[in-house]
Amino acid sequence: MIIIGENINATIPRIKDLIVNHDGTALEDLAVRQEQAGANIIDVNVATGAGTAEDEINDMKWLIELVMAKVDIKLCVDSADTAVLKAGLEAGGEKIGLINSVKATEKNIAEVLPLAAEYGLPVIALAMDEGGIATDSATRLKACEKVIKGCETHNVPVENIFFDPLVMPVSTDIKQGGTTLETLKGIKEEFPQAKTVLAVSNISFGLQKRTLINQALIHMAQYLSVDALLVNPLNAEFMLAIKAGETVMGRDRHCRKYSRAVRNMNGK
Amino acid sequence: MDSTELINDIKTNVIQGRVTSDDEGFDEGFEGKPATVELVEKALADGTDIKTLIVEGLTGGMNIVGERFESGMYLIPDMLAAAEAVGQAMDILSPHLENAGVKSKGKFLIVTVKGDLHDIGKNIVSIMLKGSGFEIVDMGTDVPTDKIISAVETHKPDFLGMSALLTTTMREMPNVIEGLKTKGLRDNVKVLIGGAPTSPEFTEKIGADVHCADAFQAVDFTNANA
Repeated sequence: MIIIGENINATIPRIKDLIVNHDGTALEDLAVRQEQAGANIIDVNVATGAGTAEDEINDMKWLIELVMAKVDIKLCVDSADTAVLKAGLEAGGEKIGLINSVKATEKNIAEVLPLAAEYGLPVIALAMDEGGIATDSATRLKACEKVIKGCETHNVPVENIFFDPLVMPVSTDIKQGGTTLETLKGIKEEFPQAKTVLAVSNISFGLQKRTLINQALIHMAQYLSVDALLVNPLNAEFMLAIKAGETVMGRDRHCRKYSRAVRNMNGK
Repeated sequence: MDSTELINDIKTNVIQGRVTSDDEGFDEGFEGKPATVELVEKALADGTDIKTLIVEGLTGGMNIVGERFESGMYLIPDMLAAAEAVGQAMDILSPHLENAGVKSKGKFLIVTVKGDLHDIGKNIVSIMLKGSGFEIVDMGTDVPTDKIISAVETHKPDFLGMSALLTTTMREMPNVIEGLKTKGLRDNVKVLIGGAPTSPEFTEKIGADVHCADAFQAVDFTNANA
């Protein structure tokens, strides 16, 4: 299971302030703690909405350079703006491990997939197109198909696609958990070479004890062999629950990873 | 690497429960390093003394695993991993044992009794005893009493191990012991029993030789009586 640390994201108010004020120390610390907590990649999102498009490009460059000097793991450039992705890729070079993300729109495919090809990097592809986020899995799978076609056009190996089936809150539409899982299942069946990722936290938006809801979704997605999760790695019990899911699915020989994580937790 | 170092390395890998190089260990940071199978093959190629390898490397490692299991530091999968490493090492070594002057410590017949399909505990005991140098005859699960008795007659084992996980099936154990007595075989074989519902009191009541709460107690008893 690939864990993408979600914490450095400008849509979180506290993080937005840190980025706007260029408070580097707190952001460095957040990166280091995510690495120590077992993240495999750290997501970097600077969409504060506070400044100009030019500011965002500069913020991405600043933040990537800051974080890459502090951690050994790779970073994931996260932006809906191709120019910001580019700035991050240029600043990070070899230290970038993932692009987040491409939508299945004609324009976005034409802009982002060539970047993935140029840098030889995997890219998260959102299961949505010009029609926005569909509430049903069949429409989301059609969007995925457009990305697969785009891979051919732009010479991106399908293995480098991490499809995000999209996670929407169950608090506003109770069928959304099912749609996410059905889409995930469909991707695994129709595009078996592609990988999958869930940006989990959205499922529990507006509810109490969010971690429980997040875990429920993750465990069901683990049964469908989801490859990566965009999550908060700083919650140790939550990370242990993810390991428990891998163990139950037989992807943890002799339960080594699970047992070790319990020991490390008890040792603290 | 001299042979002492190699044997120590094998012992470490048994304790870590690593069969081959891509296995994780109990502790972090072992992936990719040669493990039990690779090291035992190297020891064979180097002409390392097989007896020392078994006693100090495999049994020595397993003793520490036993201590760690008793202390609660190791859990069942950690013990199984180590037992698997020893089992594979013994498979590699077995064609060479006779030439090396290593004798079997004895023959052990093991069964889960009639009506009972549980085999996890029985299998752990099997693999641990095999690693300890005993010859194992494993008859599987749900073995009828008359078959157990005739197997004792034909195989002439030094030990008979019976497992039952149900209160209903453990009642088959005294029938086996009575059957052995009737055939005059009881004194030829030490009888070990185990499984969740069994107890030292039950053991005494039915006239078995020893109750084993876990695999290590079976290993200890057989070694003491080998």
